[in-house]
Amino acid sequence: MTEGQQAGPVRRVKVVYCGGCNPHIDRTAVAAELPADDPDVGPGATVHLSGCPRACASDHLLTSDDPGTVVVAGELVDGVPTPAPELAPTVTRKLKE
Amino acid sequence: MALKTPQEFVQSIADLHLQIYMFGEKIDDYVHHPVIRPSINCIAMTYELARLPEYEDLMLATSHLTGKKVNRFTHIHQSTDDLSKKVKMQRLLGQKTGSCFQRCVGMDAINALYSVTYETDQARGTEYHERFKKYVQYLQDNDLVADGAMTDPKGDRSLAPHQQPDPDVYLHIVEKRDDGIVVRGAKAHQTGACNSHEIIVMPTVAMREGDEDFAVSFSCPANVEGVYYIYGRQSCDTRKLEGNDLDVGNAQFGGQEALMVFDDVFVPWDRVYLCGEIEFSGALVERFAGFHRQSYGGCKVGVGDVLIGAAATAADMNGVAKASHIKDKLIEMTHLNETLFSCGLACSYEGVRMPAGNYQIDMLLANVCKQNVTRFPYEIARLAEDIAGGLMVTMPSAQDLADEKIGPIVEKFLVGQCDTPVIDRMRILRLVENLTLGAAAVSYRTESMHGAGSPQAQRIMIARQSNIDHKKDLAKALAGVGKPWDKGKTKAPTAVPAD
Repeated sequence: MTEGQQAGPVRRVKVVYCGGCNPHIDRTAVAAELPADDPDVGPGATVHLSGCPRACASDHLLTSDDPGTVVVAGELVDGVPTPAPELAPTVTRKLKE
Repeated sequence: MALKTPQEFVQSIADLHLQIYMFGEKIDDYVHHPVIRPSINCIAMTYELARLPEYEDLMLATSHLTGKKVNRFTHIHQSTDDLSKKVKMQRLLGQKTGSCFQRCVGMDAINALYSVTYETDQARGTEYHERFKKYVQYLQDNDLVADGAMTDPKGDRSLAPHQQPDPDVYLHIVEKRDDGIVVRGAKAHQTGACNSHEIIVMPTVAMREGDEDFAVSFSCPANVEGVYYIYGRQSCDTRKLEGNDLDVGNAQFGGQEALMVFDDVFVPWDRVYLCGEIEFSGALVERFAGFHRQSYGGCKVGVGDVLIGAAATAADMNGVAKASHIKDKLIEMTHLNETLFSCGLACSYEGVRMPAGNYQIDMLLANVCKQNVTRFPYEIARLAEDIAGGLMVTMPSAQDLADEKIGPIVEKFLVGQCDTPVIDRMRILRLVENLTLGAAAVSYRTESMHGAGSPQAQRIMIARQSNIDHKKDLAKALAGVGKPWDKGKTKAPTAVPAD
């Protein structure tokens, strides 16, 4: 930010968690890696973050009908197998697309 | 085309003029053959119930392709409600037939292929999904039965498909042409194969490099040139040739399995859904198996209902219905049966919408369901035999009962509870025999063990999804593993004086 610029509200990705009864992944660690205040991420970006493939955070949908929403369900991103360390980078890339 | 009537279904199977062999002979009039006809009646029941308003909620579904009502056996699941209704429909049909009604394999095949063709196209730029959707619509529009053909004979299990001395033990592509492929091999244990209009072939295992010719999925008419069927024997099958309805136990209905042979069969490209994409063969196997393991949480439960009812009726007829141990055994049978149903429903309710848009069962719970199916029907059958008594396997024959001289003697000594006709007591005991060690035991017992994959196949899937590290973390957190320990805080327990 250059001098004199007004600081706007920090734009965060909205995260919707599942209840967390059977996590195959560390959901909060994935959420913590998601971008904050990244101008390439559009407003309203949402991640449905479920701990296992049952995808409770997205009401059992492995993909969202909303193009601004990415679904994580265990080691799946939008239904595609993704190793745990790659979850946050993959979600970030998709949010920027 | 509207939904077929049962009569139209039977005629349509006769019109196929399938190449069927049994007891070393070619069977031309197979729809009237006494060994085969009960299995045809089973599938006819899937047509009959679909036309009755009281069963419509389970038997029919609305096609997402056309918006029309279709038989649920040709439907692509569109919700978790569809998945649970599938299980309930299967329980209903198990109750009505007391047998394997055979139409599930095609339903499970189309639902597995629906998502796999989509994902193959996404990854490989192929055009399988759209052509497969057209095929599903063809099945729906014509209300057809499809045989989902997965299990290869497999030869030497220690060798990969391409390493087999005789490659034909895994169905494979022998020629690729401009207009299609030519395949050769066989599919074993094919449930309902001789009662199907169509065959849907899928690979039997996850294929690896070198196995490209074996990673093949396609559909073809059941009467395509080069396909023939060798009918599988069942326990007590020749009783069906004796012409009486008593000793068979279930005269109307029965299951069917066959060895299906592909002798250089041509398949046009518009019927090919996987051709060398080895990395998707595993997903196809797992998804078909998953759907079929869910199925057993419905169909076996329906047959179990019949067996529990038969055992309870036998107890009534033996005059022991009020004995506390009999009541307890019936409770145990019911508990086991409903546990299977619970598993079938649980994997349905926890199903997910796949990227292709269809719904798939929860894989872990579907495998748990089938693992229980490899055990509980055996215990239910054991308890049924216990309640029925030894007479179910030592009774004289129908011919003896019908004999002028011997018949009255049989009647005299087989009498049970006072107002029960002996013929009815014999009928119910023969039904218990049929289900526990006769023709229907093929599906109720051994198919429960090996159908949709043998027990170890489920255990591999359960292990893969068991999330054991999470469980370890839970235990460690509660036990305090890794926390510093202050041994100075330990002291001997203080005894509290008694009053």
